[in-house]
Amino acid sequence: MGDKIIELKNISKQFPGVLANDNINLEIDKGEIHAIIGENGAGKSTLMNTLYGLFEPTSGEIYIDGNKVRFLSPLDAIKHKIGMVHQHFMLVPSFTVAENIVLGIEPRKNKLFINKDEAIKITEDLSKTYGLYVDPRQKVETISVGIQQRIEILKVLHKGADILILDEPTAVLTPQETQELFSIVRNLVDNLGKTVIIITHKLQEVLQLSDRVSVMRQGKMIGTLNTKEANEQILAEMMVGREVLFDKLERKEVPHKEILKVQNIKAKDNRGLMIIKDISLNLKSGEVLGIAGIEGNGQSELIEVLTGLRSLEDGDIIVNDVSLINSTPKEIRNASIAHVPEDRLAMGLSKDASIYENILMGSQYNEEYTKIKIQLNNKKIKKRAKDLIKKFDIRTPSEDVLIGNLSGGNMQKVVIAREFSFNTEILIIAQPTRGVDIGAIEFIHEQIIEKRNQGAAILLVSADLDEIFRLSDRILTIYEGRITGEFKQGDITKKEIGLYMTGRNKSELGGGIGEEING
Amino acid sequence: MKKLMGKQRSEYFISLFLSIFASLLIGVLIMVINGKNPIVGYSALVTGSFGSTYNIATTFAKTVPLVLTGLGTAIAFRAGIFNVGGEGQLYLGGFAAAYIGITFTKLPPMIGIPLAILAGAVAGAAYGYIPAILKVKYKVDEVITTIMLNTVAALFTGYLVNHPFATTQGKMGATEIIAEQYQFSKLIKLSTLNTSIFYMAAIALIIYYLMEKTSFGYELKMTGQNSQFARYGGINDKKQMIVAMLISGGLCGMAGVFEVLGVHYRFLQNISPGYAFDGMLIALIVKNNPIGIILMSIFFGALKTGSISMENATGIPSELVLVIQSIIILFIAGEAGFKNIYKNWRLKKSSERKVGEENA
Repeated sequence: MGDKIIELKNISKQFPGVLANDNINLEIDKGEIHAIIGENGAGKSTLMNTLYGLFEPTSGEIYIDGNKVRFLSPLDAIKHKIGMVHQHFMLVPSFTVAENIVLGIEPRKNKLFINKDEAIKITEDLSKTYGLYVDPRQKVETISVGIQQRIEILKVLHKGADILILDEPTAVLTPQETQELFSIVRNLVDNLGKTVIIITHKLQEVLQLSDRVSVMRQGKMIGTLNTKEANEQILAEMMVGREVLFDKLERKEVPHKEILKVQNIKAKDNRGLMIIKDISLNLKSGEVLGIAGIEGNGQSELIEVLTGLRSLEDGDIIVNDVSLINSTPKEIRNASIAHVPEDRLAMGLSKDASIYENILMGSQYNEEYTKIKIQLNNKKIKKRAKDLIKKFDIRTPSEDVLIGNLSGGNMQKVVIAREFSFNTEILIIAQPTRGVDIGAIEFIHEQIIEKRNQGAAILLVSADLDEIFRLSDRILTIYEGRITGEFKQGDITKKEIGLYMTGRNKSELGGGIGEEING
Repeated sequence: MKKLMGKQRSEYFISLFLSIFASLLIGVLIMVINGKNPIVGYSALVTGSFGSTYNIATTFAKTVPLVLTGLGTAIAFRAGIFNVGGEGQLYLGGFAAAYIGITFTKLPPMIGIPLAILAGAVAGAAYGYIPAILKVKYKVDEVITTIMLNTVAALFTGYLVNHPFATTQGKMGATEIIAEQYQFSKLIKLSTLNTSIFYMAAIALIIYYLMEKTSFGYELKMTGQNSQFARYGGINDKKQMIVAMLISGGLCGMAGVFEVLGVHYRFLQNISPGYAFDGMLIALIVKNNPIGIILMSIFFGALKTGSISMENATGIPSELVLVIQSIIILFIAGEAGFKNIYKNWRLKKSSERKVGEENA
């Protein structure tokens, strides 16, 4: 270490209306793992795309091994041994692994045909050299995401890259695959002399994997640290630009009253298969009930059933002693259930409509926002939107801005602002912080706990275990359409809960579904 | 359109005017290639459409069916339904009005005229209900069903006016003349402009109010933009689609009614030269904005009226106007693409300038 392999000097990149990179200086040492972190829109990807030759910087210089270079396309970057693995893989699904790896520089037979045997041999050699096992003859479409990423890495190495840029490499991986990737990256750097730049926004991964870390915020480079000297708190503060208060959610003791009762419900998924096999639960005022589970085990359908968007095959849903079976979504909303859906763009918003129109949804016939019954009172509607924009810290120049022009975090705040402002007894909240940056996550978590402290009954579904643990008073685990365990906050560790989420506790359970099991 | 931000709105107007300008330029090119003088051609077009009271009257007479079918297309579009069946709905609406006009010949106009209008609206709405229910219940693509139903309606009314309802005054594929009290009076001598333009104005006002100001219009718009979001928010999206289609069919039906009561005083085979298709194009061009529909209908009406005078005066075929209309559509459809080309060009310019400065 110590030799500068890449130097970026005063790099700026201007897009129409946005200064994506503002006078960035960055040095990468030979043989290090250098993490670049920042919130969504901080300019990480722009900077790396500039280094990879996809964009030309508006101003500034790039030096490789001390020589000034100018990249007009990725081909120039590859000539200088820089390769990039994108967040979204660029593989041909119907080709084999070997065919994908040699794509673009295929070995030929008679100058016309691809030499498949040669391609397979190349792949096997690469596989051996770098210790990345793949089956050259397998078709990519049949391969797991983790292995596909391996193929992408091999592809880049095959092109001769000594510097690898990995853009959000763990976004699509399971925790296990992530660990495998990390040992691969370590091996490439420690034993094979490669240099790796990794873009991410997951702080734990940065601390685990990298040698040095550079933090970006709003297009600027905030600073570079040795990872040894960093911790989550410091990095989060640098990313967000102010103190981030983790684990300081104040819970008040609130009187509990049972509000929602779900009794032995069954429901089918879109393909007509029984996905909710037997779920019972109850929800009390002043609590957050977290549902932990791997996606696709019936959580989405459970929420849809509770909000009237999916029909029930069997069982009963009772709110304040009234059955909600066969109620329309409108009736359920009126029965005091608000809903933050898991996919905000598919269900929670219309991206072609303005912020105030999105906030109006659900109140369009409310007397407060209409004149002479049928006409909308735009003045009052906009007033409410303005108030909510202020209260929920939605970053926008005005309430007339189209939702599609907001960042993910601000879109989510619009949904939360609308649903929370109904002041319902019950809130059903799914994946509240998915794809949302740290500053907004903190804010959203605070809002949820505030609702709880005011006495709302909150059902929280999240794929993010940290979130479940941080917010819930009680946790239910769901697996294959059944509740496999129930725990009080603090009675169980994340590791243990993983067993219940994967059904591996079945023998311990002895088939007793829905029983109370205290860690 | 007022929901758009100022910048997007002005961008849209700029591209609209550029599109119209560019297609008029292409019109010049076509005239020059054919050895005609474009100045003479276009001045004949303008005088033909606005040069005299008669010409202005004819221009405005043409806007009546265009506005109604344009609004009809727009309201269905708001709810996410592409009603290409306006033509069929217009035919049935027109025939229904004619039927009232030749059957209930003793009714006073105060009752007869509203009855005829209502009958035409109901006929059009009922004909719009068929594709709507097929779409909502069985997910049948409405574009295909509405196009096919156009042909059915044209042939069916063609049969009616040639056989059971054929006029006894010669063989012409038309009904008898409707009773006198049903006939709208003409406003300008010799022109077809008649009192139906006032009905049209009132209807347009109501539809504008409905689409832009009411809770119903809001629900319609949300259904069209994202039906899943609408359902989640408690809107009955299927009902919205059906109601939108009923209104749409009703408006197109009324376009037929006014052709019968105001222009021809009878129902004719092939009564519409494709008004509903022009109305649809108009709605597309102005992105379903009710006020835009009215303005664009006047423009289209002027093109249609002026083109005939142009052909008579200069020998330039009136079909040139069709070319111009189509090119406007193409430009509007390509709006996003043109914006990109422009942006890239600007980016390239600025980066070239930078490189130039570096080298200097």
